[in-house]
Formats: sequence, C-alpha cells, structure tokens
Amino acid sequence: MSQGTALAFLKGCREGMHLFGQNIALIINTILLTAVYVLGVGMTSLIAKMAGRHFLETRMKKGEKESYWKDLNLGKKAVDEHYRQF
Amino acid sequence: MAKDSTAKPVYILGISCYYHDASAALLKDGVVVAAAEEERFTRKKHDTSFPLHAARYCLESQGIAITDVSYVGFYEKPFLKMERVLSQHLEMFPRSLKTFLSAVPSWISEKLRVPKAIRRKLGHKKGVLFVEHHLAHAASAFLVSPFSEAAIVTVDGVGEWTTTTYGVGRGNDLTLLKEIVFPHSIGLIYSTITAYLGFSVNNSEYKVMGLAPYGNMNPDTNEYYHKLRRVVDIKEDGSYRLDMSYFTYHYADRMPSGKLCALLGGPATKKGAEMAKRHQDIAAAVQLLTEEILTKILIHVRKETKQENIVLAGGVALNSVYNGKILRKTGFRRIWIQPNASDGGTSIGVASYIHHMLLGNKRGYVMRDAYLGPSFTTTEIKGFLDKRGIKYSEFKNEKEMIENTAKLIYGNAVVGWLQLGMEWGPRALGARSILANPCNPEAKELLNTKVKHREKFRPFAPAVCEDDALTYFDCDEPIPEPTDFMLMVYPVRKKWQKAIPSVTHVDGSGRLQTVRREQNPRYYDLIKAFGKLSGVPILINTSFNIRGEPIVCTPHDAYKCMMGTGIDYLVMDRFLVCREDNPKDMWDSEKYAED
Repeated sequence: MSQGTALAFLKGCREGMHLFGQNIALIINTILLTAVYVLGVGMTSLIAKMAGRHFLETRMKKGEKESYWKDLNLGKKAVDEHYRQF
Repeated sequence: MAKDSTAKPVYILGISCYYHDASAALLKDGVVVAAAEEERFTRKKHDTSFPLHAARYCLESQGIAITDVSYVGFYEKPFLKMERVLSQHLEMFPRSLKTFLSAVPSWISEKLRVPKAIRRKLGHKKGVLFVEHHLAHAASAFLVSPFSEAAIVTVDGVGEWTTTTYGVGRGNDLTLLKEIVFPHSIGLIYSTITAYLGFSVNNSEYKVMGLAPYGNMNPDTNEYYHKLRRVVDIKEDGSYRLDMSYFTYHYADRMPSGKLCALLGGPATKKGAEMAKRHQDIAAAVQLLTEEILTKILIHVRKETKQENIVLAGGVALNSVYNGKILRKTGFRRIWIQPNASDGGTSIGVASYIHHMLLGNKRGYVMRDAYLGPSFTTTEIKGFLDKRGIKYSEFKNEKEMIENTAKLIYGNAVVGWLQLGMEWGPRALGARSILANPCNPEAKELLNTKVKHREKFRPFAPAVCEDDALTYFDCDEPIPEPTDFMLMVYPVRKKWQKAIPSVTHVDGSGRLQTVRREQNPRYYDLIKAFGKLSGVPILINTSFNIRGEPIVCTPHDAYKCMMGTGIDYLVMDRFLVCREDNPKDMWDSEKYAED
C-alpha cells in the first residue's frame, strides 16, 4: 500500500469517526432534550394551565379591547443596565 | 469648546447575529466608517453566524485593533428573547417538541453566550453592551437620519417580544412609547403567506411584493383579502391582533396552519411551482392587508406625536411598494429609511445608540450613501487580474471608460459593475451592480433567465440621476432620500412606460434608485452618458449575484459570477474584462441557482 493510499485511508477513518461522534451526540442530545421538554416544560405547562396561567396571548376576541397598543416607554437607561442580557 | 485634535478617536463596534443577516458596523466619533454583512464574506446568503469577517473588515478598514475599540454593542437582549422562546414552549406544549429539539442546542451553544463569543473570536476583553432589538432598529434609523425630530415606527417579524413599536426621536435621544408583542406580527403574517406561496421565509418576502401587482389589487373585489381580513382584528389606531388558530409559527417550523390553508383554498404551494392567478391574488391580498395596517398605524402615530417627519425601521420597512405611498396617505411630510432597514442594520443602530444616547454625544452624521463595505484600489484589482492570467484591457482615462461602457450597454450588452465600497443593505446601488439597457424589451427576460436564473415575474429596477427622476417617475416632491437606496416604488410616467419596458412593472411602477453625483460620480456620469446615446438617461440596475447567492464583494467574486452567467463584460475600476476573451474560466451557474 502506497503512502498516499494509507493517508487517504486514515483521513477516511478520521472523517468516519467524526461523523459517528456527531450522530451519537445528536441521539444523546435528542434523548436528554426530550426528557427536559416532557418533565420540565411539560410539567410546568400543565400546572400553569391548571392555574389558568397563559404565557402567550393567542386568543382573539374581536371587540374585546379598543386598542391593542401596550405601554412601552423604552428609551435611555443607565449604562449599567445595558451590560445585562435581560 | 473646540475639540482637542490630538484626542484619541472613540471607536464603537456594533454586532448583530444569530437570527438572520449577521453584520458588523464601526463608528468613529459617531461617524459610520465601515459596515458589512457577514454573508458577503462567507458567501452564504443571510448568514446568521457570528460576523467575524465583517468585524475584521471594519477594524482593518481603519487600521485599528480590537483594543482600540472603546465599546462593543449587541443588537438585542438574549435572555429576554430566550424568555419569549420558553414561553412559546410552555404555552404550546406538547406541540412544540420538534422546534424545542431543533432550537435549544443553538441557544445553549451560542445565543446565550454572546459575551464569550465576542471575547474569544474578537479578543474584546471589556464588557458588552446589550440594547433591546427594536431600540436598535429605531436608533439605526433616527440617529443617522437627516431629521432633528421625527416620529419613529419599527415593524418586523419579532425581536425579543416586540413586533411593532412607535415613538419619537429628538436630537440625540429617542423613546419608544407603545408596542405590540409576539405572536401578533405584521411581519410574520407576510412571512406566512410567503411560505404559503412556496417561497423561503426571511428571504423571499420581496418576491411576494413583486408578485402582488399581477393579482387583483382592488380590496373590494379581491376575495382573498376579505378572507385574510378575518384572520386579523385591526383597530382604528392601527393596533392589531391575529387569530393564532390560522398560524403555527409560535410552535412549529411551517408557518400556515391547516385552517389557513383551508381558508385560502388549498395546501401550501410547492417550492418552484408556477404562480397561477390564485397565487397572484393571494400575494395582492397580503400586500393590501399590510398596507391597510401600516396606513392606520402611521395616521395614528402622526396624530399622537404631531411630528411631520417619519423614520421607519425593521424588515417591513423594506416594503418599497408601500413606502412609495406613505407620504400621500398618512400626512407625514418627509420620510427616512436606512438602506439596511432589516436586522442587518441593527449593528449600526446599537453602535449609534451607545454613541449618542449612552455617551450623550450630539449628532453630526447623516447617512448619505451606502458604500460602507470593502473597496479595492486600482493596484489591487490589476494585481488580481494579472495573477489570475485574465485577459483584460485598461481604459486610458475616466472619459473613455464612461463613454465605452455606455456604448456597450446601449448595444444591449450586460455589464457587471464593481466600483467604490460594497453597498450596505440588500440593494445593489451602483457599486456591485449588473447594468443593462432598459429600452431593450428583451432585457428583462434575458437577465431573468440567462444571468439571474430567477422567476420570470420579477421586475428589474431603474437607476436614474436625481435631477432627471421627476421627468420619468411620478415621485413625491422633493424626492425622499430613501429613493437613493431603492426603497421607494413610484409610478413610471405613462409617456415613458413604453420607452423603458424592462423596468416598468406590470402595474406601471418602478422601484427606482435615484443617484446624486456626490454619492457615486462614475455611476452618475455613466447614466448620463447612456442617456446621450439612447435619449433616456436610465439604466437597469440589478444586484451583482445569481439567485441564492449574496451580492459579490471582491473582484474574484465578481469575475466568478460573470464567468458563470450571461454577463458579457465586467468593468472593475478602470479595467474591462470580456467574458468571451476568457473561455478557460467559463462555468454554468444555473444549476447552483436556488433560494
């Protein structure tokens, strides 16, 4: 086997292992995130719904309000507040 | 007090990324000295990744290092956005599982780690300033506008929570007074119909705008408009709410719900399908609906703020068809829209916000042109051509260059044109443009099929010198400055519609670009020289790219694009390259053309 063929073989092995690793990571991530979704998001959502709490205003009742504008008053703030991500 | 001339300049870098159209912009003492979108460097359209190349370009253009930058700002508050995303999942459990699985990894790996990414990728050791998304939009428009006072309206898909705001700007200060929040969004209605018509979201909304005039633009007789009106409750003050049972974007990745498909008379259109009359009417309906909502908002804002000037920002402000109607419909007297009104432009917004509002500096800069991207010297271009062994010729002087290029275009050649710095924003404005003869009735089809490989219904834009514009187009007077950035559509005067068929859309309108000589002298002179030959001083100006690719940036990109398409000549600085003279580099770009 020439040196070129050997290098190509090793490169192929490395790429294959990389792809294998990515697929394993994807499977594990999916399992873990599904668990988080069902247990964390799902439980919170169910409890919130039982308590009548809504996180988004998805219902539209025509004539319910005169205006849908909400107060914002967003303008200049102290510099420190802008170092926060929230 | 006079400014100390030896004082070190204050550089501020603005960053926008991780949603769509990542970009970076650099301010030097309040002046935008460089700005570019990442896609132009990575060659991935609407690239969302961290704008490393764009930021590097900004720094290199000024010969500075990141340590010379005093502040780095980011265009939104990631934790507030995460709160909204989490709220969507909590509200829509269990239907949002698929989007949860696809979205959460990127939140964990990058979107919540912005300071770390800036520190690691750019080497910026100081803190990062975060500005709310719509505040960055508002700042990107008002703080670089020519107005000392103006009403501000921002409308896009969604920021953190906000989808629509209005407020007022005065001097170096602005306040957003009211908002409408997610999931209610004009931008997302438009995107939903874009998806329904088989086009890609956050990319092809402008195609729907181009398709609309083929449909029934009469609100009284367009049945789809009446159907869409059922989906939205619009108040007299322009505020609105959507019936979310017609949409799925708050929990799924496909946007129209089965109920909306049933309302519109069938399933979503497949990608690449022919557009029938029904599709054209649906496009017209969403355009009519958008115009109705925006008109009500703007009339309300005019009344509330009592301002005569309006500045607009957000992706919806790129709706040039509506922009051209604003002054006639809403009572505002002057309008300003930044050339990169969509998310890409927020990097300028956050940097301007820091300079003017946080640091308290007075305004002294107005964005008069959009040539803020990389430029190439004569030596660099010659070096590229020689190194690649490309056959080319060099014009003796400016006059010969202008006259010969005008002759080529008059002879119906398609010319690639690379001059000055690359444009900031989605429109090619005579720095990275493909130019052709608008008097040639075949030009539209030729450009659509052989050069751009795009849908036949899409119109081309006319470029006209500002002093000639009113002769050919029924513009507002005085002509609004956003017309320089191809952001306003106006009717072509009836007398001239037959003379320039390739830039007259089916409804007799044109998305014109007005050119002032001080912005781009070569381009201005070329249009005038073409006018002397043809009797009509107007050129077709379309972006220098093929469908699905970003606009070209470098001489290499421009040459590659020409050799893969039906562009006949390339004029870069003073150099002329003929496609036929370089057969070794020819390739066929058609199979790569996609959204």
